[in-house]
Amino acid sequence: MGLSNDRIRFNVGGRIFETTATTLANAGRDSFFGALFDENWNLSQPEVLFIDRNPDCFAVLLDLLRTGDLNIPPNIPERLLHKEAMFYGLIDHLRTAKWGPFDGNRLHLSRSVTGIAPGDGTAIRAGPDGGCCVAHGSVVHVFDWMLEEHPTINLDYQRVNDVGWIDSGNIVLSACERLGRGDGGMGLFSSSSGELRYKFQVSHDNQIKSYSAGALSFSPDSKIFTSCKGRSNEYGIGVWDQITGKQLDFFYESPGWSLGDADKLQWLSGKNCLLVATLFPRKDNCYISLLDFRDKNMVWSWSDIGFLATAEEKRVRDAIAMEESNSICVVNEFEDLGFIDLRMDGGGSSVRWSSRSRLMKSKMPDEPCYPKLALHESQLFSSMNDSISVFCGSDWVLTSRLKRSYGGSICDFSIGGDRLFALHSEENVFDVWETLPPPII
Amino acid sequence: MSNQKKRNFQIEAFKHRVVVDPKYADKTWQILERAIHQIYNQDASGLSFEELYRNAYNMVLHKFGEKLYTGFIATMTSHLKEKSKLIEAAQGGSFLEELNKKWNEHNKALEMIRDILMYMDRTYIESTKKTHVHPMGLNLWRDNVVHFTKIHTRLLNTLLDLVQKERTGEVIDRGLMRNVIKMFMDLGESVYQEDFEKPFLDASSEFYKVESQEFIESCDCGDYLKKAEKRLTEEIERVAHYLDAKSEEKITSVVEKEMIANHMQRLVHMENSGLVNMLLNDKYDDLGRMYNLFRRVTNGLVTVRDVMTSHLREMGKQLVTDPEKSKDPVEFVQRLLDERDKYDKIISTAFGNDKTFQNALNSSFEYFINLNARSPEFISLFVDDKLRKGLKGIADVDVEVILDKVMMLFRYLQEKDVFEKYYKQHLAKRLLSGKTVSDEAERSLIVKLKTECGYQFTSKLEGMFTDMKTSEDTMRGFYGSHPELSEGPTLIVQVLTTGSWPTQPAVPCNLPAEVSVLCEKFRSYYLGTHTGRRLSWQTNMGTADIKAIFGKGQKHELNVSTFQMCVLMLFNNSDRLSYKEIEQATEIPAADLKRCLQSLACVKGKNVIKKEPMSKDIGEEDSFVVNDKFTSKFYKVKIGTVVAQKETEPEKQETRQRVEEDRKPQIEAAIVRIMKSRKILDHNNIIAEVTKQLQPRFLANPTEIKKRIESLIERDFLERDSTDRKLYRYLA
Repeated sequence: MGLSNDRIRFNVGGRIFETTATTLANAGRDSFFGALFDENWNLSQPEVLFIDRNPDCFAVLLDLLRTGDLNIPPNIPERLLHKEAMFYGLIDHLRTAKWGPFDGNRLHLSRSVTGIAPGDGTAIRAGPDGGCCVAHGSVVHVFDWMLEEHPTINLDYQRVNDVGWIDSGNIVLSACERLGRGDGGMGLFSSSSGELRYKFQVSHDNQIKSYSAGALSFSPDSKIFTSCKGRSNEYGIGVWDQITGKQLDFFYESPGWSLGDADKLQWLSGKNCLLVATLFPRKDNCYISLLDFRDKNMVWSWSDIGFLATAEEKRVRDAIAMEESNSICVVNEFEDLGFIDLRMDGGGSSVRWSSRSRLMKSKMPDEPCYPKLALHESQLFSSMNDSISVFCGSDWVLTSRLKRSYGGSICDFSIGGDRLFALHSEENVFDVWETLPPPII
Repeated sequence: MSNQKKRNFQIEAFKHRVVVDPKYADKTWQILERAIHQIYNQDASGLSFEELYRNAYNMVLHKFGEKLYTGFIATMTSHLKEKSKLIEAAQGGSFLEELNKKWNEHNKALEMIRDILMYMDRTYIESTKKTHVHPMGLNLWRDNVVHFTKIHTRLLNTLLDLVQKERTGEVIDRGLMRNVIKMFMDLGESVYQEDFEKPFLDASSEFYKVESQEFIESCDCGDYLKKAEKRLTEEIERVAHYLDAKSEEKITSVVEKEMIANHMQRLVHMENSGLVNMLLNDKYDDLGRMYNLFRRVTNGLVTVRDVMTSHLREMGKQLVTDPEKSKDPVEFVQRLLDERDKYDKIISTAFGNDKTFQNALNSSFEYFINLNARSPEFISLFVDDKLRKGLKGIADVDVEVILDKVMMLFRYLQEKDVFEKYYKQHLAKRLLSGKTVSDEAERSLIVKLKTECGYQFTSKLEGMFTDMKTSEDTMRGFYGSHPELSEGPTLIVQVLTTGSWPTQPAVPCNLPAEVSVLCEKFRSYYLGTHTGRRLSWQTNMGTADIKAIFGKGQKHELNVSTFQMCVLMLFNNSDRLSYKEIEQATEIPAADLKRCLQSLACVKGKNVIKKEPMSKDIGEEDSFVVNDKFTSKFYKVKIGTVVAQKETEPEKQETRQRVEEDRKPQIEAAIVRIMKSRKILDHNNIIAEVTKQLQPRFLANPTEIKKRIESLIERDFLERDSTDRKLYRYLA
């Protein structure tokens, strides 16, 4: 193709645009432009190709193809732009240009979405492509990456305990059972339509039993883990296959230990173990253990039974395993971080609390929320009241603090799809934090 | 105001939905449908992509996605039905071509239709989880064309026919074939497997079943293997040319099964051309082919290996047990080495140095070498022969090669101590008679034995070398301190350490006066320099060079043994001596004397004395005179003793007995070592452990071990357990 032939003129909704086939080739074959210039279609039009679309949006999208950068003028509503991008098949281009790769120290607040649900939020979970879902009471609100809300989902209108994304199209929801009705449990839903696709069964001695499902976790080899409470003391951790939906395993809790009431499950790929943490105030004591399902063995465990009497403030409120440093990070209600070495048997070893305690006992808000922890590529995040702290480096130095003034305390937050979502307890508002696209130079 | 009341007008409820033109959907679909028709009729040049795309977009946007989706399926189905009729109508050879042409058209049309319906593909189909446009188009082609009853079997038969034709040597259109097979692959793995691969494999299996039967009736093993190999490469090529790469494994396994696995036994055992025949005739190509083909099938190599092993064992057994062949020990060992070389070469050239085959070779040799109890002796004799004369003029490298090969045979021996015994004897002879060709070769072999069997095995052999060296120094010292001895006969004494050498009971003879004087001088010199030692003369092992003048005045130097020297020296004083006189004068033991006289009188060309009466054997009444008529073209005449190279029967018995005798302390030592660490052990375990520990030296006989245990119990090293008689206890 000669240079002169490379030039193309469009008439979009009355405005003339001139560009090159090379620029349009950036759109890829699976787009309007890719098909338009395919040799199948006889492109013998004289000089100007007419497209019956909005010229302002076309200008933005053409610049996106030219530079890879997205610049939305204030006069164009985002929804309109998304719709135009859908028409041209450029929606994926738009999404990747919208925000940069996640970095806890370069986050800025992109949007706040006001909630409508009554009651406190239970959980917020980031989806793999930048969407999120928020569990309130008995329903789950689903938002795609454009923050458009999809039909809400629920499992028999029972109280939702946890939600999680299997992939961008599927959400798992765990709910309480209603006594004697066989409701609740765990279900798989379509994220776009909110339909129930599959309900996971638990069976003991080949008999299907109803159960309450608690905390959820997924492993890369397509397993779902959840803490289960049956009615006849069938407490423990259930394991299902994501693809077949069949129950694979059940790890019964041993006397004097807690698994079925767990607050947090975390799959550790390197150790091939599941972390199970049951914490105060759900139970009087804290229990943290690592389970190996291959030989049905609790390979590591820690509990604060007998350690407490003196230091009331050192109560573990959340825990997260950090495989790289072979330790478990815990946090108390004053946002003191503590570390437990995984290489030592947990029985005797105590928590090494960092001395970074903040003197804010006096400033407790009316409705406090317990701190939560998250880990993303060697950055540690901890929520406390209305802010989230970011810690980096081998000594976990505080490097950033994300804060928004209203909406009350943060009751849960989640990182995924290069975004951080923080759910506030009072107003059911959630904040979306993104990393800006990389600088020009 | 009043006017308004009177109007009594009605406010219409604002409830009607905004309805687009009700015919809008139909109209738009008609445009799109017409376009699809045009695309299928290859008349798309007038179509505007932008317009069609926009129309499809609008239909989805206005919730007519369902109508668009079903419409597209229906239109495409009707087109494909038409096409399948056209394909069906194609006659003979043009059938495949027509199918391929229509398939290409369909693919192009499908791509264009997908372009138009891209927005539907992305949104409506995505959210309703329906089948996407492209796979849907393929499914429709599969259902309406490939699975169309009048095409389905015809297509398969045509393809299989073409393959069959190619197998029988005809040239087919591989490009067309590849395109059609590619169509099956594009339609999905299951379609390819169900509609083509499986019937293809079945037909191939049938074909090769018949063909292999034909071949095996008419060909010998070598030819059959060649044909099988050719077929195999043909099938692999076929896969590369027009089948899915995943089929290669399947089709080759069919050929392997039908052509090789099913006829394996028959091929290997084929008369006059089977494996044994190939081995006998060194058919490396055929053997290599057999190896490469047989290793593709389960148990293939096991079969080959088993036949080779049993052949080797049979052949080896004949070799070592044939009394004819074991007459000459050197040749016997040479034959073994040749066999080994032969099979080494077969394994390295034809069997790709397969470890399991090497192991089979080794175990076979180990098996049959030990069938002949004299193998250790023969191997030692072979080495003796090589070191005496065989290595003359051979480069050092080659010497090493020969020695390495001998070591290989040595490794197979179970009774290594017997070998040691013989080796010691032979080495002593070589050293004392100064016959050894290369000191370096001797030492190199000892190093090899040392690495193989450890220090203990060779310490005495090394002691022999040291003795030789010390003796040289001693002699230098002796003559240095006795300068008057440079005149007259020269005496060279080798002082041997008792124990290191295989000394036989010494029966000193009467030495001639000239010599015994020298001997006395040496004795006093030696004992003067070394205190606390005892010398005893081993006259049976010495040699002498004597000068003799015969009747006509010709001078000769005779190289004889000490005994012979003693006899000959007697003739300096008398012309005729009777056997009795000689025996009295020399006191040589009768057997040795007879042998010695025999070599002096009865060997043609070397008979320096004459015997009366003339006969082969020496009688007690014979008498001897100097043979004045003795002539020889050489100045130096070597008069060998008539010694059996190989041991005679009684000697063999004796060696055997000595070996057994030597084993006793070794067995006892092993028992004590084991018991010392175990304290308590039962009978069977002792036997097992002792056998294991002694394995590197010899195979211990269980009854002998038992006797040794008894003996140790008697001597209070061990005791039997008082309750369990099978248990032994170590007594510290």
